[in-house]
Amino acid sequence: MENTVVKKKRTKLDRKMDKIKALEESGALKKQKKVNRYLRKFMNNKLAVAGVIVFVIILIACFAAPLFTKYDPGTIDVLNRLQPPTKEHILGTDKLGRDVFTRLLYGGQVSIVVGLGSALGAAFIGVTLGCYAGYKGGLLDNLIMRVSELMMSFPRIILVLLLVTIVGQSLSNLLIIFICTGWASMYRMARAQMLSLREEEYVQALKAFGINDFVIAFKHMLPNALGPISVNITLSTAMFILQETALSYLGLGVPLDISTWGNILNAAQDLRILKESYWMWLPVGLTISLFVLSVNFIGDGLRDSTDPTQQG
Amino acid sequence: MNKDVVLSVKNLKTFFYTNQRCNKAVNGVSFDIKRGKTLCIVGESGCGKSVTATSIMRLLPKLSRIEEGSIVYHSDNGDIRLDQLKKNGKNMRKIRGSEIAMIFQDPMTSLNPVYTVGFQIIENLKNHNKMSKREAKEEATRLLRDMGIPLPEQRVDEYPHQYSGGMRQRAMIAMAMSCSPKVLIADEPTTALDVTIQAQIFELMDKLKKENDTAVMMITHDMGVVAEMADDVAVMYMGNVVENGSVDQVLRNPAHPYTKALLDSIPVLGCGKDQVIEPIRGVTPDPFDRPIGCQFGPRCDYYTEKCETMPDEITVDGHMVRCWHYKEVLKDA
Amino acid sequence: MAIGLISALLFLEGVLNLLTYILRRVLYLIPMLLIITFLVYLGLELMPGDAIDFMASPDTIAMMSPEDLDNLRETLGLNDPFIIRYFKWLGQIFQGNFGYSLSTGVAIKDIVFDRLPATVELATIALIFSSLFGSLLGVLSALKRGSLADNALSIAGMIGVSIPQFFFGLVAILFFALQLHWFPHGGRTLPGYETFLDRLPHLILPSLVMSLTMTAGVMRYARTSMLDSMNKDFIKTARSKGVPEWRVNLVHGLRVAMTPVVVLIGFRLPMLIGGAVVIEQIFQWPGIGSEFIGAVRSQNVPLVMMISLLSVSAVLLASVIVDIVTALLDPRVKLD
Repeated sequence: MENTVVKKKRTKLDRKMDKIKALEESGALKKQKKVNRYLRKFMNNKLAVAGVIVFVIILIACFAAPLFTKYDPGTIDVLNRLQPPTKEHILGTDKLGRDVFTRLLYGGQVSIVVGLGSALGAAFIGVTLGCYAGYKGGLLDNLIMRVSELMMSFPRIILVLLLVTIVGQSLSNLLIIFICTGWASMYRMARAQMLSLREEEYVQALKAFGINDFVIAFKHMLPNALGPISVNITLSTAMFILQETALSYLGLGVPLDISTWGNILNAAQDLRILKESYWMWLPVGLTISLFVLSVNFIGDGLRDSTDPTQQG
Repeated sequence: MNKDVVLSVKNLKTFFYTNQRCNKAVNGVSFDIKRGKTLCIVGESGCGKSVTATSIMRLLPKLSRIEEGSIVYHSDNGDIRLDQLKKNGKNMRKIRGSEIAMIFQDPMTSLNPVYTVGFQIIENLKNHNKMSKREAKEEATRLLRDMGIPLPEQRVDEYPHQYSGGMRQRAMIAMAMSCSPKVLIADEPTTALDVTIQAQIFELMDKLKKENDTAVMMITHDMGVVAEMADDVAVMYMGNVVENGSVDQVLRNPAHPYTKALLDSIPVLGCGKDQVIEPIRGVTPDPFDRPIGCQFGPRCDYYTEKCETMPDEITVDGHMVRCWHYKEVLKDA
Repeated sequence: MAIGLISALLFLEGVLNLLTYILRRVLYLIPMLLIITFLVYLGLELMPGDAIDFMASPDTIAMMSPEDLDNLRETLGLNDPFIIRYFKWLGQIFQGNFGYSLSTGVAIKDIVFDRLPATVELATIALIFSSLFGSLLGVLSALKRGSLADNALSIAGMIGVSIPQFFFGLVAILFFALQLHWFPHGGRTLPGYETFLDRLPHLILPSLVMSLTMTAGVMRYARTSMLDSMNKDFIKTARSKGVPEWRVNLVHGLRVAMTPVVVLIGFRLPMLIGGAVVIEQIFQWPGIGSEFIGAVRSQNVPLVMMISLLSVSAVLLASVIVDIVTALLDPRVKLD
C-alpha cells in the first residue's frame, strides 16, 4: 500500500486553502459581504482589469485626439510624404504626407463608433425581437427564426459585400448593413435565453395574474438575461470592428476619404509600402489588435465572474 | 474491532474553499456502518450529509479537502484508511465500485447519455473483474432482470433517456451492485422519483441488503424514509452528527432538541386535521456566519449559556447525543 | 442467441431512424434554397441593363441577328412574366448555365470551376488543421485547468481571435516572405511547376494564416465545452465506479464534449469561406474569394450573385452534414 499513501505533502492548492481557512477563522472575511461578489471577482481577474485599462486609454486617446496631436487628419503635405517616424511625426507620414499618428487617433473615432454603434443597433433589434418572439412563440417566432436562419447561412463578408454592391459604399450604408447582418445572432441568443426563462415559475405566476405579455417579456424576464446579452454586445463590438477594418482594407468598407483604422491599412495593399514603410500600417494594426484584445478580455472577464466553479 | 462494523468514520472534517471563503461543511462527524444493516443519515439540505458520503468515496471536488479525521474501511484484507489513500490512486479505485459503491440522487443526469445502460454497467464489471465482453453483457442483462426491469435483453442496449425514472434508478442500483460491494452508499436515491416508485426502490434495496449482507448508508431528508428503512439513524445539523443510535432509540426517545423538533414538525397520516404540528422556529444559519458553540443554539428551547461551548459526544447504551441538556429532552418526551 | 437477434434488430431500427432523419433535414433545405435563389434572382432583375447580357455569352450575341436574338429571348423566357422567368432561370442553373460575367464575358460556370480547386485546397487544410489542433489544445487546456500551459494557451487563443486575420497575414508576409525570404509572398503556382511539392511553398503561408486564426476560436470553445462536460454528474458516477482518470476524461468527458465542438465547427464554416475571401486577396491566391472581391469592385453583379449563391449552398450542405454527425454522436437527437 506504500506507493499510494499520500504523505500529506502540502501542494500549492493546499497552501492557498490554508490561507483562506486562517482568514476565515480570524473573522476577517465576514466583513466583505457588502461588496458585490461579481464585481470583486471581476477585479480579481487581472486580465479583465488590464483590458479595461487599455480600453479606456485607447478610447480617451482617440476621442480626445486634439489633446494628443496638433495636426489635422486631412492635412496634405506632399513634400513630406512617406517619412519614417521622427520627432515631428511620431509615426511618420503616409503617401500624401498626412501625419499617421493623427490619422490613427481620428480614425479610431470612426472605427469605434461603427463597431459600437453596429453592436448596439444589432442588439436593439435582435434582443427586442428575440425577447418577445422567444417568449410568445408561435407563428411570429417561427417566421423570424426562419429569416434569421436564412441570413446566417450567408458567410458574413459575402453578405456584406453583396449588399455593398447593391446599395453602394458610404458610412451610413455600412452601419445599416452591419446592423442588418448582425441582428440575427443577437436574436438567436436572446431567444435562447427567453426559452429557458419561460419555464421559470415567476413567469407562470405573472401570467396567472393576467399581466400583459409585453410587460412580462420586457420588464420581468429581460433583466434576468442581461448578463449574457451584455457579454454578447461586448464581443460583437470587437467583431464589428474587425469586420470594418477588413472591409476598409480592401477598399470596400468606409469610403476612403474618411479615415478609419481599416482605411489607413488600405495603403498596405501595395507590396512596396508593406515592405518599406512599415510605420504606415504596423502600428495601426497593432492598435486594432490591442483594442479588440482588451474588449475580448473585458467580455471574458464578465463571463467568468459569474462562474461559481472558478476560484474567484 | 467489532466484526460487524464495515466502515468507521471518526471526527471527519471536510472544508470547502469556493469563492475565496472557507465553508466548514462537515465539522467533526463520527459514525459506524454495520454489515447487513442500514444506517440512515438524516438532516436538512446543507447539513453536510452528501459531503460526508462524497468524502468517504473520495469524490470531493477540487476546491475542497478532508481536513482532519479518519475513515477506516474494514475489508477482508485488513483495515484501510480511506482518507490517507491517493484520491484517484490504484488502491482507492480498486475499492470504489467493487467494495464500496454509490448511487446518486438524479439518475437522469448521473448516467452518461451517449452510452447505453449496458455499456455503463459493463464498464464497472470489466473494471474490477476479468471478463469477456459476452460474459459481461450476459451478467449485465442478468443484473437488470434481478432489479426487476422487464425485457432486459432489449433494455441492456438502450440509452438512459429511453428508460423511465424508476427504471433508471434500478439500472443505477444494478450498476452499483454489479460487483457485490460490501458497502452501498445511497444519496437520496428516491428524491427525484414518485412516491409509489419510491416504495418499490426501497423494497428492492432491502432485498439486496438481505441477500448480500450489504451495509447500506442511506442519505435522506425524509423522516418517513428513516422510519421505513433504517436500522440505525444519525441525525445531522450544520456539519455535526447531533444524535446517533438505533432507529428505535432515536425515533421513540429523541435525546436531542433538534431531533425532537423535527419529529414534532412532521404531520402524521391518520392523526386527523387537529394534530399539533410545530415548525422549528428560526432559520438555518448562514454557514459563513455560524453561532458559537452548539449550532442549534439560537433555535433551541433548551438553550442556556453552557451551550456556547460545543457539547461533547455523550453515549448511553449505544445512543449518542451531542447536547448538554439531553436529560431534560428525554424527560419531556 | 436471443440477445444477438435482438441486438441485430435494434441496430437495423437505428439505421432506419438515421435515414429518415437525413431525409427530413434534406427536405427542409429545399424551401430555404428556393427562397435564396428567389432573392438572388430578384437582385439580378433589379440590376440595370438587359438581362440577356449575362444570360448568354457575349460572343454568341455578337454573332446573332436581331431575329435570332428575339428567339433567344423567347427560349430564355425573358418575355414571360416574372415568376416564369424565375423558374426558367432556375432551370438554367440546374443545367449548369450560371450566366456570364459582365466584365469578361466568360461563362461563370467556367470561372467557378477554374478557381474552385484553389479555394478548396486552402479551406480543407484550414478546416482539418484547426479542428484537430484546436480541439486537442482546448481539451488539454481544460484538463490542466489553471496550469501555466492552460493560461499561456488561453492568452494565445485570445490574441488569435483579436488580431485581424488580414493583418496577421500582412505581418506574416512581411517577415517570412519579404524579410526572411522563406516563402514566396503570393500566388499559387508558377509556370514550370509540375508536382504538388513544387507548389507547396506557396501553399504554406496562406493556409497557416487561415488555420491559426480559426484554431484559436476552436480551441477556446473546445476548452469551455470540455470544462462543462467534466462538471456533469455522470463524471462523478464514472469516478465512483473506480474508473481510471484517463478513461473518465476520454471516454466520458471528451466524448460528450465533442458534440458541441462539432456543431461549432459547422457554424464556423461560413467564417471559413469568408476568411478565404480576405486571405486570397492578400496572398493573390487565385481562388473564388479573390474572384469575388474583383467582382464586387467592378460591380459585376451576376458574378457576385452566383458566387454568393454557391457559398450559401456550400454552407447549407455543410450544416446538413453537421446535423448528421451530431445525430450519430448524440443518441438523444434522432427521436426528434
